[in-house]
Amino acid sequence: MKKWVSAIIVFLSVICLSVVKVGITQIVDHPALNAVFDGVVKAIEDAGFKVGQDVIVDRQNAQGNMQNAVAIARKFATEKMDFIVAIATPSAQACVQAISDRPVVFAAVTDPVGAGLIKQLGRNDSNVVGISDMVPVSTHLKLIKKVFPVAKKIGVIYNPGEPNSVTLTNIAKSSALSLELTIIDIPGTSPSEMISALNSIGPDVDVLYIGTDNTAASSIEAIGNVALRLGKPIVAADIDIARGGGVIGFGFNYFQVGVETGRLLVELLKGANPQDLESHVVGPESLLLYINLDLAQKLGVQIPADLVERADILVEKGQEVQK
Amino acid sequence: MIPIIEQGLLLSLAAMGVYISFRLVDLPDLTPDGSYVLGGAVAVVLLHAGHGWVFSTIIAALSAGAAGVVVAFITTRFKINSLLASIMVMTGLYSLSIRVMNAPNLPVPKFDTGKVMSYEQVVGKTPLDDILGAGADIKFEGTGLKAVKIPFTNAADGHDLLIIAAIVLVLVFVSWLFLRTEFGMMFRGYGKNRFAVKVLGVNPDLFAYVGLITGNIFTGLSGALFSMYSGFADVNMGIGTVVVCLAAVILGEIIFGRFEFMYGILFPVIGALLYQILLSLAMKYGYRIGFKPSDMKLLTALFVIAVIAVRRFKKSEVTV
Repeated sequence: MKKWVSAIIVFLSVICLSVVKVGITQIVDHPALNAVFDGVVKAIEDAGFKVGQDVIVDRQNAQGNMQNAVAIARKFATEKMDFIVAIATPSAQACVQAISDRPVVFAAVTDPVGAGLIKQLGRNDSNVVGISDMVPVSTHLKLIKKVFPVAKKIGVIYNPGEPNSVTLTNIAKSSALSLELTIIDIPGTSPSEMISALNSIGPDVDVLYIGTDNTAASSIEAIGNVALRLGKPIVAADIDIARGGGVIGFGFNYFQVGVETGRLLVELLKGANPQDLESHVVGPESLLLYINLDLAQKLGVQIPADLVERADILVEKGQEVQK
Repeated sequence: MIPIIEQGLLLSLAAMGVYISFRLVDLPDLTPDGSYVLGGAVAVVLLHAGHGWVFSTIIAALSAGAAGVVVAFITTRFKINSLLASIMVMTGLYSLSIRVMNAPNLPVPKFDTGKVMSYEQVVGKTPLDDILGAGADIKFEGTGLKAVKIPFTNAADGHDLLIIAAIVLVLVFVSWLFLRTEFGMMFRGYGKNRFAVKVLGVNPDLFAYVGLITGNIFTGLSGALFSMYSGFADVNMGIGTVVVCLAAVILGEIIFGRFEFMYGILFPVIGALLYQILLSLAMKYGYRIGFKPSDMKLLTALFVIAVIAVRRFKKSEVTV
């Protein structure tokens, strides 16, 4: 009997010592952000950890409510989570404010410096490290210039209430100057507002551009239909948005952002300090080129052969081909 | 537990605002969804400008009060229902808050930032650079701002709770004193019976102004303190403030309702604390019994309705 008891105590203490608790908080239930979560879990499992056994994941969702995001951050702070992963800007800001003694990994924050999470990209002397989902906006504009040489007015569809989109739009505006392009705002704080803005401003622009905007992403099918009716091609910075109605997309999918975030977490799980790791932008190896030749034909757009050759995902005759 | 009380107390300030407009002066006001954000936005912008946190908070609360002035003006001058007037003002405040911050989200800077790095420096080349020409000229700029001092810096030490509790206690006491004055009596009378106040020879519009202004000052204060507590102001942080505060007020009335009206100003405080506790329980255990995060809004709505229904039921029993 005594043997049993001591065996159980030893067993339990081994479990308690080896199990680490990871708190993952995300601001809202959204396909892109859920994909980030899935990517993080994938990276943990790829590294040989068993989720639920070696690593206990406490997933919390703020339901789009900032008060909840702060409540979750404070809960993680008091409940002694060993590691914290925060998906999207407000969740990350709440965690960074509340937690200073344990590693915090942020994900899907476009401008982590502007959001006050870290001093600069690269190495930092704080407990915070993470991945920015900044996309190469000026490359997108060059892409537009190459495919649509006569285009002058680029309509950017975005939600002025989303920090990521506002950052991207501001960058687009400053990059456009040197490329002799004009950026025209097509704003909407809700899908319906966005579509009415597109209906009224869309006819005046040559090409439509969509960044990593969550509102646009959630109504991309409808936006795609309106754009098709207006005869305006969409260039997207997110592969999933491109799939919903874009002619060209150059960017990553959010699952990949999650995997890269998860890799940082795995380094931490293996004992690294956040100070040893570098906060960085989603790497160029995650950037994919998507071209929808069917839609291009419908809109009468000629895609240069070198781009078609380079594409990672091609849609041709109703079939999606991944290279 | 401490964070729950802290957030409950922060919420209680907004709930006091809602209590004043909905209960005391009986002018239902939906502005808090916007004035909460305006309070946070103004506070963080002033912090950025180098002002102290006390000054920033006071100005933030007053600017939210200004939103109340507008609602009161529309309501009394154009004789528009206060609900309608406040929906207009709330909608307008969304844009105004973005203007104030010049962005939809602004952090309270904890450290100096400002090093400029280019996308190339940070990411390297994109796979399309050889086709399109190199040089992605994206700059990662710091906000270029200096670190500011705010009282809420660390979740672990108990200071946050002390500061918030002190502010709430002082405001409850001041409100209580105010409601005991002759003007306070008439103020409450206005909510009960508008004509009676007119008979006393006082311009009833005055009470509409005072009620809507103080209500929004409380909400703006709540938003300002919440922004500093959470480390950021975000234009979407006010969504649902009125509903949540209303839930808190009603909850407080149920618990405290049998006590004298004089203590009414305590209803929202007690209610907000209880609400926060219930919310955290729901968040902690809700998932285990099958709630999805998206169900929480439905639960809040059902909860408020159920609580009102129960109260009505009880009342009718008493009268019988």
